[in-house]
Amino acid sequence: MEAVTARNLTVTYEGKPAVEGITFTLNEGETLLLLGPNGAGKTTLLKTIACFHREYSGELRVFEREPCEARELIGYVPQSHSLNERVPLTALEVVAMGEVYKRGFFHFKLPPETLKKAEMALSFVGLGEVKDRLFRELSGGQKQRVLLARALMSDPKLLLLDEPLSALDPSARAEVTNVLNKIKREREVTMIITTHDINPLLEIGDLVMLINKRLIAFGKPEDVLRDEVIKSVYGPLAKVIPVEKRLYCITGDFHIHTHGGGGR
Amino acid sequence: MIPEYLIRAILASIMVSVLLGMLSPLINTKGLAFLTHAIFHSLLFGAVLGMILGLLFENMGLVMLVALIITVAIVLIIAQLEKVGFSPDSAVGIVASFVAGLTVLGFGVLYKVMATRPYFPLSQSIVSYLTGEIFLITLGDLSALVFGGAVLFFLMLFLYRDFLYLSFDPEGLESYGGNARAYLMVLYVLVGAIGALIVQTVGLITLQVVAVLPGAIALMVSSDVRKVLAVSLFLTLSVQLSSVVLAYFTDIPPSGLATIMLGVIYGVLLFRR
Repeated sequence: MEAVTARNLTVTYEGKPAVEGITFTLNEGETLLLLGPNGAGKTTLLKTIACFHREYSGELRVFEREPCEARELIGYVPQSHSLNERVPLTALEVVAMGEVYKRGFFHFKLPPETLKKAEMALSFVGLGEVKDRLFRELSGGQKQRVLLARALMSDPKLLLLDEPLSALDPSARAEVTNVLNKIKREREVTMIITTHDINPLLEIGDLVMLINKRLIAFGKPEDVLRDEVIKSVYGPLAKVIPVEKRLYCITGDFHIHTHGGGGR
Repeated sequence: MIPEYLIRAILASIMVSVLLGMLSPLINTKGLAFLTHAIFHSLLFGAVLGMILGLLFENMGLVMLVALIITVAIVLIIAQLEKVGFSPDSAVGIVASFVAGLTVLGFGVLYKVMATRPYFPLSQSIVSYLTGEIFLITLGDLSALVFGGAVLFFLMLFLYRDFLYLSFDPEGLESYGGNARAYLMVLYVLVGAIGALIVQTVGLITLQVVAVLPGAIALMVSSDVRKVLAVSLFLTLSVQLSSVVLAYFTDIPPSGLATIMLGVIYGVLLFRR
């Protein structure tokens, strides 16, 4: 089944196009890595699929429905630094948020079944022990995993992740990537992940889309990650290096991370 | 023997403290200080309009009702402007400038109406709107404050977690099936309605300070929601009650004392940091 279909999709802000003429199909269970430089329209495209932004022309379907009609099938994971951390919520309360809005308008007390499910979701992402800690006191990687657990609470069929690895150190990137791997393996969720740094995510990406306001390339990683394609967006210094059957992209936006944790 | 007016003042202080103690952390976490400022100024416009109508129809009870209606209407206009794409600050800025201008024009009309009618009860009302006059609160005022306050308190209590989620991540709330806009509207209306309900006891000049500082202080000294609420409630209650008692012995307006006390506590905490 087709999870997301876009045909000649143009997304506008106040009449000005932010993303133009995008066409692609993502099948159920596949993971798409959405790559592009700053201002390329990655987040705009993600937010349009999530129904946060509705100013678009062309066709966009999510599980054969309009995006806003498919909301209950979508789990959206924002960048953790976009959240208001002054609000004193615990990790468990943040995760519970993923389910409470399925019922009612008043949520003075969290239902026991929601709390239990939230604890299980936290355990799934390896954070069972921090449930009572304040969200703002967690490390960057832990915050991102809490947000993943929150997204899983609604049992989504499509997970949209906005820069899940941004501003994380290499070990935190590895933590989050492991959880994404686990979600892919055990939950069979379709995922779209925007990223500046595609290298840590290449293992889980079935498809790669490169955009820069327009669609530059879309296909399997080995088809998209070619020198001439990368250079057309990131300039002449960008390149793709094959190392032991793996591809590494150097675009200037990011570095290759070695196992020792350093970058070069 | 405790004078009856002092008992009424203490009871009013308790209700005001409970409402502000609950509301204040929300104003801080959602970043509504600027909006609160605009809302509270719209109360003055509403009150002036209410005074004009009160004089014309010889019914001073209209003052609070008109102030409440105008404030809620202005809150809804701000929310509508945000919906059509204005940033919260721009929406507040646009509305606040109109409200300020209309208030001054309203005063001009009020003076003209006052020149044609006996206005003794009104001069007391104007003063109480500006500086707060808790000792002049009548049994009727107290009943309205307690009944209206109870309704607003329970509405705020039952939606408290939703307001926290709204402050934390409105997009997330929306994406998991909540209606962020509806919660925001209810929160705005609550701020306006609480302001309208307590303005005569607290005073417009000091209202914003007593609405913002308890929550700001509570968030500085605690990070757990329950403790933040407890600190904010304890702070508003102790400051309001002690200012009433002090005012009783010194004849200084209690709202001024409460504001100075809160300012000192906030300043000391900032200085110690």
